[in-house]
Amino acid sequence: MIARISYAFRETWASFKRNVTLTMAAVITSAVSLLLVGSTFLIQRAFDNLLTRWKGDVELIVYVRSDADANQIQVIEDALKSQPAIIDVSKLRYLDQADSYAEAQKLFAGDPGTLRLLTPENIPSQFKVVPISQDSNLIRELGEQFRGLAGVREVAYAQDVFDVVARVSQFIRIATTAMSIVLLMVAVGLIWNTIRTAMFARRREIEVMKLVGATNWFIRIPFMLEGLLQGLIGGVLSCLGLWGLNSAWSSAVADFNDTELAALVVTDGYMRFVMFILLGIGAIAGAVGSGIAASRFLDV
Amino acid sequence: MIRLENVTKTYGTDIPAVRDASFEIAKGEFVFMVGPSGSGKSTLLRLMNRQEQPERGAVWVAGKNINEMADSKVPYLRRNIGNIFQDYKLLLNKTVFENVAFALEVIGRPKHVIRQQVPAVLDLVGLSDKEDRFPHQLSGGEQQRVSIARAFVNRPLILLADEPTGNLDPATGEGIMRLLDRINNTGTTVVMATHDQRIVNMMRRRVVQLDRGVIVRDQERGVYD
Ligand SMILES: Nc1ncnc2c1ncn2[C@@H]1O[C@H](COP(=O)(O)OP(=O)(O)OP(=O)(O)O)[C@@H](O)[C@H]1O
Ligand SMILES: [Mg+2]
Repeated sequence: MIARISYAFRETWASFKRNVTLTMAAVITSAVSLLLVGSTFLIQRAFDNLLTRWKGDVELIVYVRSDADANQIQVIEDALKSQPAIIDVSKLRYLDQADSYAEAQKLFAGDPGTLRLLTPENIPSQFKVVPISQDSNLIRELGEQFRGLAGVREVAYAQDVFDVVARVSQFIRIATTAMSIVLLMVAVGLIWNTIRTAMFARRREIEVMKLVGATNWFIRIPFMLEGLLQGLIGGVLSCLGLWGLNSAWSSAVADFNDTELAALVVTDGYMRFVMFILLGIGAIAGAVGSGIAASRFLDV
Repeated sequence: MIRLENVTKTYGTDIPAVRDASFEIAKGEFVFMVGPSGSGKSTLLRLMNRQEQPERGAVWVAGKNINEMADSKVPYLRRNIGNIFQDYKLLLNKTVFENVAFALEVIGRPKHVIRQQVPAVLDLVGLSDKEDRFPHQLSGGEQQRVSIARAFVNRPLILLADEPTGNLDPATGEGIMRLLDRINNTGTTVVMATHDQRIVNMMRRRVVQLDRGVIVRDQERGVYD
């Protein structure tokens, strides 16, 4: 048994050294495709975080004209408070112009052009409204009533933004998943080709092995091990890459920790889960690619 | 030990390489397969260790119908059959010792068995002093001795030799023939395909002659023609 295991590892290592270029190509492709798979997981998770957070948050914003007077603002507030069946009055928040300006500074931190147009004087103040009712038609009806009030500049529904983000998230999910699958198939193909080449280079040995009665598994295992290792090394590299990307992203987002952007960070636990998945997929891709090659070119 | 029953083997669509061949080889026998080039000698040998499957008929080895044997059992069949070829089929990057050891290694024999059996068989073929040489540092006759050592190291029941003297000068060929004879005397059944008239006539063993895939002569203590 020990003789067999050491045989398998010796052969695997020798073959690795013989086919450095092909091996590198296979490993790098696996790494890149797995990195994309990992990024898909993380991006999706970040969007999900964001969407969950929004769902339970403000769903209606009533923007107040910047030239509205205190009386008009009071009318709006009273009108809101007169609908306790539809909105959660205890969570009703009013951001005056100074507060709104401070919020805008954070929201548009990456967009100085927009920010330049805003001043504490021209920015609308706003009521952030959290509905109790889950009926979005009811909420929209209410919103339309507010549009008619003097002093109201605009009513925005979080539902609309939510839908847009959900659609974007859906699109990114499909696009990255499709690209991951294509790249993974390329990686499996490259591993298959490396193993095929390795077997071709050793066809004399394989012929002799078959003639003296080595079992197909005995012949196959070093090659499958080689493919599995290629996939696994690709997996390790992709984990390192993903970890680097995620740390850079997390620390960039940390500056915005009291805005919605903070929701775009995934937990370490989830990161570990994704890395584990990547190693698994890498190993499976390697074993599949080399397994197909090994049985295909080993007909008795 | 080996029995063929009405065996027919066709490669392409044209005439069969072997047609309706039947014969039996007893344990410990020595048989020459002779016939012109392309008459089906190599094909017959390959049918005996399931490198080929016949369209019709059956090949029995050591009491088993090897055509009905599961693929997974074929390696164990082959551990009982040694093979020798005209071109030796040695691994050029391995020494004499390693070439012979390889045959034991890949069927999972432990190190201590290898350390004991390889020198013994190299002694038998007369290459004890050359075990660290590579194939290109050996003469043709010596290379063929290595391949015989590799075929015999696992003490098979049967040895299949396909023109083992084909690339050798007469004197060297005769040496190889004597070695195969000695191996035969240990009880191993030997089947040897050859064009070598001199050797066949010298040995006076059983001769099976083929012509275009058909057995045209099967003679005890025969000669080449
Ligand atoms: N792998 C193959 N595919 C197709 N045809 C083959 C194959 N091997 C042998 N043949 C054909 O089968 C016939 C018998 O070939 P075989 O090699 O058995 O002859 P042989 O008696 O060993 O000849 P030689 O003395 O030249 O070695 C020939 O016509 C040959 O062309
Ligand atoms: Mg031949």
